[in-house]
Amino acid sequence: MNADEWLRVFAAELHQRRVAVDAARHVVAEAATHLREGGGDPWLVFGAPQAYAAAIVETIGTAPGPRPGPVRLHARGITKRYGRRTVLRDATLTVRAGQIAAVVGANGCGKSTFLRICAGLISPDAGEVTVSGRLGYCPQQGGTVDFLLPDEHFVLVGAGQRMARDPARRAGRAAARQLGWEAERDVLARHLSGGTRQKLNLTMSTLAEPDVLLLDEPYQGFDQGSYVNLWDQLVRLRDEGKAIVVVTHLLNQLDRVDVVLDLTPAHQGGRS
Amino acid sequence: MNRLVTVAEMTLRELARRRGVLLLLLLMPLTFWLIRRDSHVGQSVRALLLGISWAVSTAALFATSAARELEPRLRLAGYRPHHLYLGRMLGLWVLGLAVSVPFFLLTVVDTTNLRYGGIAVAMLCCVLVAAPFGMVIGALLPREMEGTLLLLTVVAMQMLLDPASSGAKLTPFWSSREIATWAVDHTDGGYLSRGVLHAAVVTALLIVTVAGVFGVRLRRRRHLHHAPLV
Repeated sequence: MNADEWLRVFAAELHQRRVAVDAARHVVAEAATHLREGGGDPWLVFGAPQAYAAAIVETIGTAPGPRPGPVRLHARGITKRYGRRTVLRDATLTVRAGQIAAVVGANGCGKSTFLRICAGLISPDAGEVTVSGRLGYCPQQGGTVDFLLPDEHFVLVGAGQRMARDPARRAGRAAARQLGWEAERDVLARHLSGGTRQKLNLTMSTLAEPDVLLLDEPYQGFDQGSYVNLWDQLVRLRDEGKAIVVVTHLLNQLDRVDVVLDLTPAHQGGRS
Repeated sequence: MNRLVTVAEMTLRELARRRGVLLLLLLMPLTFWLIRRDSHVGQSVRALLLGISWAVSTAALFATSAARELEPRLRLAGYRPHHLYLGRMLGLWVLGLAVSVPFFLLTVVDTTNLRYGGIAVAMLCCVLVAAPFGMVIGALLPREMEGTLLLLTVVAMQMLLDPASSGAKLTPFWSSREIATWAVDHTDGGYLSRGVLHAAVVTALLIVTVAGVFGVRLRRRRHLHHAPLV
């Protein structure tokens, strides 16, 4: 990781840890000046960007987070059976505007099923979901078209909201850039790498500016930088007042979310 | 209207980029025609029509299966079910007509003393029926293997059944055979009108079935309530 990359990750870390924008800009500028004038490897000078960001937060504190707004998604008593097997039992989740909720649990505990029920793609055996505002959904896999270009995906999704073609393309490219991806104009989706394809998938779900964003393990195939960009993007969307639900198995990220729903069955030590 | 046209356009773009598929779409009717070319001209024309029907149905089946994962998210993005199935059908109709044009010209060049307007109408009926027919199979059978086998069964029935039998009238592409008989053998107008009527009824039934299947699959679920944005 070179100095620029280190500074980028450091800035993203400060943002995710809710350091005030002006203070974060000042700290990053100071670190950049120090590296430029003193030279040296930022890892040797400052250490890991995450650790240095944590130290900065301890010193200067964080900006007060925006207060959660009205309830955007309320799922209550969700029960789902496949044959005799009950995959979800009485699951409940409330997410407000300006919150990120993580849905966690062991493999096969119904995380994706829960999300698909929240999106209205499948029906539960019991329970209800109330959504306030527009829904966006990013599936774990699929959801893109092999023989279409990224721009054509943006036009296709944008047309659903009656967006004209050029604004849809511009919005798609801008959203892709937030994930560190310059959406190529002439590369078919089937030729994109797994991680880039997932970025396309994610970009499509945010294009229509949803009020409630449902993401099913959206980081599959991401490298470290893309992963940081993803969380940076999610925190930015949260601060804009979106309600976000992320299915994740990366527990180390849970300190960045506001609500956790653990779907691991009780006899395996799960909690809700 | 814009949403419907956008789906049609993307369907066409997607299929047009599958060069192997396009080649096979052309190869299938051509092979059927070549095999029957030495026999009675009516046989070669009927084989050609069956080839076009089969090719377009197969393209529709695979296009419908491939879009299965995408459609729910497009529904969430603001599309209604009819935008999705009618848009896809429109794209497939355009593709089918594009595939038919060179074969119509081939017939004009290769044969004499036919009612060429009738041949064009028969090809139009094939395309009209084939797109929703492939879509129905693709929508009802989620796995392509099962869909392909069903399609194969229906087309084999179409080939083997005696066209005069009452069972043949229940097959989807009977219309093109009737119209081709009128065009090739210069029979009375009853063949043409029966064929056109059959194609219209079958197309209408298939579209209604596609609408029903898509409507159920992409319906708004009862458990999901939308509250006004505060």
